[in-house]
Amino acid sequence: MTGPELTAKIGAMTMKNPVMVASGVFGYGDEFKGLADYGELGGLVLKTITREPRAGNPPACRTAETPAGMVNAIGLENIGLDAFLRDKLPGALEYGTNIIASIAGDTAADFAECARALDGTDVAAIEINISCPNVKKGGMAFGVDREASAEVVSAVRGATEKPVIAKLTPNVTDIASIAFACEKAGADAISCTNTFSAMVIDVERRCPLLAAGTGGLSGPAIRPAAVFRVYQVAHSVEVPVIGMGGIWNANDALEFILAGASAVAVGTALYADPAAGNRILKGLCDYLEEHDVSSIGNLIGAVGFPGRAPRR
Amino acid sequence: MSGAEASARGGSGDSSETGAHRVRAEIVESERLPGEHHRLLLKAQRIADEAAPGQFVHVWCHPPEEVDRPPSAALLRRPYSISRIRPPDGLEILLRVRGAGGRALASTPEGQGLDIIGPLGNGFRIRESLRTAVIVAGGIGLAPVPFLVSALTSRLVRVVLLVGASYDAGIPYRVERSGAEGATLPGLAALGAEVAFVGEAMEGKLVSELLEERLGEFDAQGDEIMAIGPRAMLKRVAEIAGGRLPVQVSLEERMACGVGACRSCVVPSTGGGYKTVCRDGPVFYADEIDWERLNP
Repeated sequence: MTGPELTAKIGAMTMKNPVMVASGVFGYGDEFKGLADYGELGGLVLKTITREPRAGNPPACRTAETPAGMVNAIGLENIGLDAFLRDKLPGALEYGTNIIASIAGDTAADFAECARALDGTDVAAIEINISCPNVKKGGMAFGVDREASAEVVSAVRGATEKPVIAKLTPNVTDIASIAFACEKAGADAISCTNTFSAMVIDVERRCPLLAAGTGGLSGPAIRPAAVFRVYQVAHSVEVPVIGMGGIWNANDALEFILAGASAVAVGTALYADPAAGNRILKGLCDYLEEHDVSSIGNLIGAVGFPGRAPRR
Repeated sequence: MSGAEASARGGSGDSSETGAHRVRAEIVESERLPGEHHRLLLKAQRIADEAAPGQFVHVWCHPPEEVDRPPSAALLRRPYSISRIRPPDGLEILLRVRGAGGRALASTPEGQGLDIIGPLGNGFRIRESLRTAVIVAGGIGLAPVPFLVSALTSRLVRVVLLVGASYDAGIPYRVERSGAEGATLPGLAALGAEVAFVGEAMEGKLVSELLEERLGEFDAQGDEIMAIGPRAMLKRVAEIAGGRLPVQVSLEERMACGVGACRSCVVPSTGGGYKTVCRDGPVFYADEIDWERLNP
């Protein structure tokens, strides 16, 4: 007996199933190695890298737990492009599934330089992080602006043949228009969404708990808000959407898929359950079998509004 | 195998490159201790067999079979130092019953399983030629001390244990004051350590001051200091002793992943940049840490 069809296509990247690991939480791939069968998943997005190494934000502290979520302000600490290519990428490719590199920079040219260097490697796709809320330059500064987002996507598009994924921030008035601008600039897919800008205050010291002052909220707390962003984006672009934001179980993943996501990525849940992606994958298979759905593709964007037209 | 066991085992792989295992550990004993402390004895053979003093386990604070349902509080795992190894297959952790995680764990009944990952991090390095280990511990820094003392005494290292606390009830051990020898902790002396305790309230002295008084007794060649406790204490110990004896310190910081991926728990390292407490530490040589840049 063959199981349901799970294959997901993100541009020229084919994934054996739609369950991915989101950028940031999974480091460069070596840290979690052995704690679950990550090769079983459709794709693994590694931690964002920049052209030069970055120290990130000051410590003490960078992460705060909040109700059903966490706020982080790591600040894109990373080892830089060269060390990534030399020391980390070869090990990550051993997982035997799609490895997606995530890149950031201060200028569109920085992004393009990273993309050009990755073009000759075996990464399956490149995700453009124009949505990190924790850096002063670059990051979200691009993602909140249509033209700046399109400029970065266009620069990366010109530097690589690999599928290009634009990762968007939800901290905008109209995420659909930014997704549309990225698609027009040549993005093969949209990742939706990065974290929500947030702040935690220590009332004893009367100052922000995070050393950076503010951070990005992730985890189940943002899930319904992220589902709606995916719904909005999926209705404004033709390219596939990768849905993420607080996915903890298969039911959550199905919400994103029904809202229009072709694939889903698990993030914060990995900290509680390193095998969360595998658990979600199994849950998706069970759902498809129980509901006699032959292909996961039949569920993408299949949310219905009985009796009325939906608000977009 | 039930679904919960499969989940707690983490699919087909359950041992990380660092040698950590994800296991379902049964709570064999659960005991309330003084000073908002709680002791759990867990049955976790592989972790107990491989652990070194100073290493920790990362604990999911809710029932393993509920990992599919996100809790609103204590969403992340909690790191706990391995406090003691209890052959043949047990390990103990000592927790503070304060936040949501500690409360959930302290109220989990004996016989239930816990989803734990370990042993994680780098523990204390015990070199072959070590003659005397001077352990300086403050407050909750006592958690890994029994394991450390046992590991040292079993290698025939002399252990001098200097313990400080604000007040007697703040530590999970009984304080004994009899005669001119000063205060001691019989529970830790029984493990083979020469214990001296100073309570700020009673003796009016900090443990770092006690170390300063006694530092002359120790020798730069064969002896070493191992400090565990609040950052102010660790920094002071490094200042007092750093130039004279090798000093190892165990640091604490908020963690998310516990394996070095998320870069939440970093501390400034000598020569710039950061090291992760969870993977590079939690135990460091004091000269690896940039104490000036380290937040209090």
